[in-house]
Amino acid sequence: MANMNMIQALNSAMDIMLGRDPSVVLLGEDIGYFGGVFRATEGLQRKYGEHRVLDTPIAEGGIVAAAIGMGVNGLRPVAEIQFADYIYPGIDQIASELARLRYRSAGEFFAPVTIRTPCGGGIRGGQTHSQSPEAIFTHVSGLKVVMPSNPHDAKGLLITSIEDDDPVIFFEPKRLYNGPFDGDPNKPAVPWSAHPKGQVNEGYYTVPLGKADVVRRGAQVTVVTYGTMVFVALAAAAALGLDAEIIDLRSLVPLDVDTICTSVKKTGRCVVAHEATRFGGFGAEILALLQEQCFWDLEAPIQRVAGWDTPYPHAFEWEYFPGQERVKKALSLVMEAA
Amino acid sequence: MSQFVFKMPDLGEGTVEAEIVAWHTKPGDAVDEDQVIVEVMTDKAAVEVPAPVSGRVVSITGEPGDKVAVGSPLIVFELAAAAVESSAPAATVPSPVQAPSQAPAPAGASAAAATAPRTGRVMTSPANRRRAREAGIDLASIAGSGPGGRILRGDLVAAGGELRAAAGHVSAETSVVRSLVAGPGVSRTVGGTASGEVTEIKVIGLRRLIAERMSEAKRTIPHFAYVEEVDISELESLRAHLNGTLPKGAPTLSYLPFVVLALTRALESFPQCNVRYDAAREVLVRHRAVHVGVATQTPDGLKVPVVRNAQALSLWELGAEIRRVAERARSNKSTRDELVGSTITVTSLGKLGGIASTPVINAPEVAIIGLNKAVERPVVHQGAIAVRRIMNLSSSFDHRFVDGYDAAAMIQLLKDLLEHPAMIFIPKVNSP
Repeated sequence: MANMNMIQALNSAMDIMLGRDPSVVLLGEDIGYFGGVFRATEGLQRKYGEHRVLDTPIAEGGIVAAAIGMGVNGLRPVAEIQFADYIYPGIDQIASELARLRYRSAGEFFAPVTIRTPCGGGIRGGQTHSQSPEAIFTHVSGLKVVMPSNPHDAKGLLITSIEDDDPVIFFEPKRLYNGPFDGDPNKPAVPWSAHPKGQVNEGYYTVPLGKADVVRRGAQVTVVTYGTMVFVALAAAAALGLDAEIIDLRSLVPLDVDTICTSVKKTGRCVVAHEATRFGGFGAEILALLQEQCFWDLEAPIQRVAGWDTPYPHAFEWEYFPGQERVKKALSLVMEAA
Repeated sequence: MSQFVFKMPDLGEGTVEAEIVAWHTKPGDAVDEDQVIVEVMTDKAAVEVPAPVSGRVVSITGEPGDKVAVGSPLIVFELAAAAVESSAPAATVPSPVQAPSQAPAPAGASAAAATAPRTGRVMTSPANRRRAREAGIDLASIAGSGPGGRILRGDLVAAGGELRAAAGHVSAETSVVRSLVAGPGVSRTVGGTASGEVTEIKVIGLRRLIAERMSEAKRTIPHFAYVEEVDISELESLRAHLNGTLPKGAPTLSYLPFVVLALTRALESFPQCNVRYDAAREVLVRHRAVHVGVATQTPDGLKVPVVRNAQALSLWELGAEIRRVAERARSNKSTRDELVGSTITVTSLGKLGGIASTPVINAPEVAIIGLNKAVERPVVHQGAIAVRRIMNLSSSFDHRFVDGYDAAAMIQLLKDLLEHPAMIFIPKVNSP
């Protein structure tokens, strides 16, 4: 075991997979010689060579297209889109080609592409470096969508994603790269070395897709969340003294329906929290699911905590970011109703 | 939002109010046009009222046992088109109906004290709705102490609903209240040990109507009872013969059509027994037509469907008509008109008929004819002991209007007709 932040854990996952499987290749902007803007691929080109870790032009559509071609022809590419905010030029390739290839060819062809991309705010990145577009991809059939919240899960989930023959969009909440974040930007940053989930097995291991992590057991209320909001939710529930059950989804597609519904049937109350905008967000899917499967167990209307329905602002980042106060308000609302 | 207020419809001649027997819908339900929404009881018939529109039920007026005047609001629908787009909480929508609860104070009175009268649908959480359903509690009968009259879990507990076990399932020992619906009445078993258990049955609907009418008849009418023995050996022989002519499986003739037919003949000579008494005007209304009430036991209780113009029907037609009206009464399909207007009533308990009975007059009629059980008895017949089939007739007359002499003479004529059944079919000979 070693102390790792999320960057190091991701680097370790790719290092291990490059070493284990000669078909694994990495490609993306500045990931080779430079080692990636967040340093996630640092040292890997030097270690495995330019034919395994490729620098690409600034052309996301081309990165995804090249990855699809590699995948169809037997490689196992891991593409990096430098920020999730930059993924849109690649969406046609992702939605029209990558997601459908297995279906369109009746299973004859597939492209086991993993697309890593940093997402989320809280880093003063403004509207072009802070977005959380996961719901755009959960809506595209044929994709798997993953978002870890800590180094341990990040490494295990990335290895599983690379090994998966289906395309996976792997979102990395960049605010969590260096440490857990409870939503208060004025507090000193906490490193992963101070958190148990920063203890990472240096070797090969996997974390399954479609299995949520109950990060805190509780009886009064369920909080369904993922990514950055996991630690915000933990802090908010603790601040209210609630015995909350906090579920970190880890993978949005496939979704761990059983864990969510079992918890909500137990508590009868639920808050769904994500950084992404609220309208048409992934939280709406969770609410719909709970309405269908847990309706008769609900004590109170389910609440959503989400980003405001505006582009991510630069000047008002902490008004925009759905921090502890908003989670606490939602928790209070669901606890009020009897 | 578009709402439709459905008022208590006119359910037949002279109906001014109807009693709610059972709701088949509740606030929050979506109903389709023509779906039965409520069963009501007029002074005679139970009527199933269908929904006039499709929509969601916003509120209902009155509980089982309450009487609602014709023309007053019965149920409020939110029309389907509006229901879809409505996202506002229903309780904030002003309802045109301020449900005038004629019901006694609901259970959980402590909670009720703090609560304004509820308008519109019941507000509570889905979990409480499930608890109420599992406990058999009608949420509409509970006052909510939460914001806006919302029913809280504590209100449910106060009303007898059980607390949900931790696992989210109803545990047997916490379930102290189970309400059962038995016929039109609502019964409620109150917990405790099996031997100490009591079941309370609300007297509503048909049962209340029967009770009221029986009390009224016994209280106001001085009953004169008269029992006579009738030798129906010949009638039995005729009946057996007629039934023998029927194809296999066809419904056979009972004694009832014979008695009814004979009765119509006897009443030609005793019109004072084929009467309805109009107490308000103090007038005896003699009827030329004989509309025979046939006392019928139904799953809901005693009903008296009417065979109209029995004097004009043949024996076979009478048999068929008696079967038809009785069956409709048993299956709760009688219209109100099929249950009103009889001028005299016949009651028969068949094999349970006993030796004698004292039937209660079906007011405002003045006579009721009861058939007792037909049995073979040793009797003196033409100077010798013979086995004869004997059936007693136990009848009651309103002694205010029918003198004992006339009552006895009428029954004697009826006896004569039944003992010599050919007479039933021979037109009355005018005395020279």
